[in-house]
Amino acid sequence: MRSALVSYVLFAAMLIALAAVFLWVPTEKEMGIIQRIFYFHVPSAMSAFLAFFLVFIGSIQYLRTREEKWDRLAFSAAELGVMFGLIVLITGPLWAKPAWGVYWRWEPRLTSMLITFTIYVAYLMVRDYGAQASQAPRLGAVMGILAFANVPLVYYAVDLWSADQQLHPPRNVGLEPKMEYAKWICYATFFLLLFHLVAQRMELARIESAVVRLRQKLDDA
Amino acid sequence: MDEDGEIVLIDAAKRFGAYTALHPTNLVISRGQAVLLVGANGAGKSTLLRLVAGLSRPSDGEVHINGHDLQDAPEARSAIGLLSHQTLLYDELTARENLRFFARLYGLDNVQKRLDEALAKARLGDRQHHRVSSFSRGMKQRLALARATLHRPSILLLDEPFTGLDVGSGTALREFLHLFRGNGGTCILVTHRLDEADGIVDRLLVLERGHLRLDQALSGDLNQLYAHCAHYMDSAL
Amino acid sequence: MSFIDRALAILRKDLQAEWRTKERLSPMVFFALLVLLIFNFSFELGGAALREIGPGVLWSSYVFASLLGLGRSFADERENDALDALLLAPGDHGAIYLGKMVGNLVFLLAIELLSLPFFALFFNLSLGFFLMPLLAVFVLGSACLASVGTLFAAMSNNMRLRELLLPLLLLPMILPALISCVAATKVVLANGHFTELLPHMQILGVYTVVFTVLSLMLFEYAIEE
Repeated sequence: MRSALVSYVLFAAMLIALAAVFLWVPTEKEMGIIQRIFYFHVPSAMSAFLAFFLVFIGSIQYLRTREEKWDRLAFSAAELGVMFGLIVLITGPLWAKPAWGVYWRWEPRLTSMLITFTIYVAYLMVRDYGAQASQAPRLGAVMGILAFANVPLVYYAVDLWSADQQLHPPRNVGLEPKMEYAKWICYATFFLLLFHLVAQRMELARIESAVVRLRQKLDDA
Repeated sequence: MDEDGEIVLIDAAKRFGAYTALHPTNLVISRGQAVLLVGANGAGKSTLLRLVAGLSRPSDGEVHINGHDLQDAPEARSAIGLLSHQTLLYDELTARENLRFFARLYGLDNVQKRLDEALAKARLGDRQHHRVSSFSRGMKQRLALARATLHRPSILLLDEPFTGLDVGSGTALREFLHLFRGNGGTCILVTHRLDEADGIVDRLLVLERGHLRLDQALSGDLNQLYAHCAHYMDSAL
Repeated sequence: MSFIDRALAILRKDLQAEWRTKERLSPMVFFALLVLLIFNFSFELGGAALREIGPGVLWSSYVFASLLGLGRSFADERENDALDALLLAPGDHGAIYLGKMVGNLVFLLAIELLSLPFFALFFNLSLGFFLMPLLAVFVLGSACLASVGTLFAAMSNNMRLRELLLPLLLLPMILPALISCVAATKVVLANGHFTELLPHMQILGVYTVVFTVLSLMLFEYAIEE
């Protein structure tokens, strides 16, 4: 079965990644051991944005084709995106305290992530609490498109607002070769994890809606 | 246009989530026909009417008005008028302001003249500058009819229009429908009040749980009409 | 029967109805002032802190007041099923969005201008000098709020928990606009240079254009049955 194979590959990848991060990569000289959070923090952020992009694609395709599978992609990706976002927002302060001395600073990257996170939490609230079951996919799709359009705007606005507060290192800081490799291993592992979890969530949703349909048929008969 | 007033449903269905309000339905209503649509509550009458009006998007299939698919040609809606048990009016505006708004919405010309005519026909000329909130039910329905017909639609959809009307207003509506039919208009009437529909409609459609169960020409015998419907309707009759 | 004509018809109708009853305008202005009071008692709004916090307080009140008003965008249409009448009219439904959006822009601008004298009074600001650039910020800020707010109002029209969800939807989405409005207002009140103001105005401009265009395209889906 395909998904079983993916799980095994993913498991192996995670083991490799953990080994790379904790055993293989050298300790960074300025921040010490705590810097290893980087290998989880940054890929989580990338995964979150990849997930939000999937929400965008799913939303557009749902409105175009009205096929349920696209809606399942959209909200599954949203749930996972929020989860990875949460990881970023938790690992951020964990890293910040030893590295910068404070748990939180209103600096561009963390603030942008926080705002984006709340936007997608709002997306999930609309789907779960707001819309009736028949409308949720359509309204969710509209929200999914608007949310993604907002992401770059959030970044520009927050950057402008607090550029002086920037505590993150610039994007293309050079890393030692071993660190580069470890970074890419972690990216690959996290992306694989994202796709696998999204697929699992979509399958779960498919089964849920099939059950609902069966119940409806029984009621009609 | 030869196709003026023609309504065609091609495998049209409507679902709300897992619930199917209307199963795939094929239907052709030609120019000048007057159809009575009956069914128990929840049978799908309003759903069907809303699909024809273009207010609801079909989950499957197509709805054509005068040869145009409503989804592709939003202009085709100009042939349709809707009269419902709700007035679709703005209570805080005056009668004239309401009609003027709808005239603008439909892009009609000769607005002043049309408004004068419509208000006169609705016998609301002397109350035209009063807010709709001050009108009686009968007056509101007359204004609603004026609104629904202001743009001279060739198709009229009526969803329980006799609800809450006194005898006089009900009679006036029936007279209007006779006139409308006489001018070649097509209509679909949804009502529980079969006696009100008598003499106006020439075709019967019966819906049950989203399925079209009966499609029958009518001869004008009210008792026959009751006999057809009783089988499918609940005690609401 | 063009798109613009229909949008204008809806705009005129809404402005006419509102002028007659003032049922959105008055409560919203009053609410903005109440929020100002709450901020006054929550924070020590005196002296130097004023210059720093002032723009934030101003825009917070406007945003909260707008939550009240935007939720009412389609309230008149909910009575008597009048929304059906709008949707029945031929042509692209986007015209409905445009008419409502501009109407909301006008309402929001009116509230901002009506409550501004009170803010100036309590904050001891002499505004005359700043009025023109401030007006520009207000117009763009209101446009941002109106662009997404109108679409969300349409979406929440049929939703359960409508009053609860509109703020939850709207607040996260307008944060970039809010940030830029506050920053721009700060620059204006500090008599800053035009070049300082420009980046913020650009964000507000881009936000308005992006979300108005997207909303025009998505409105049909938001309002459909």
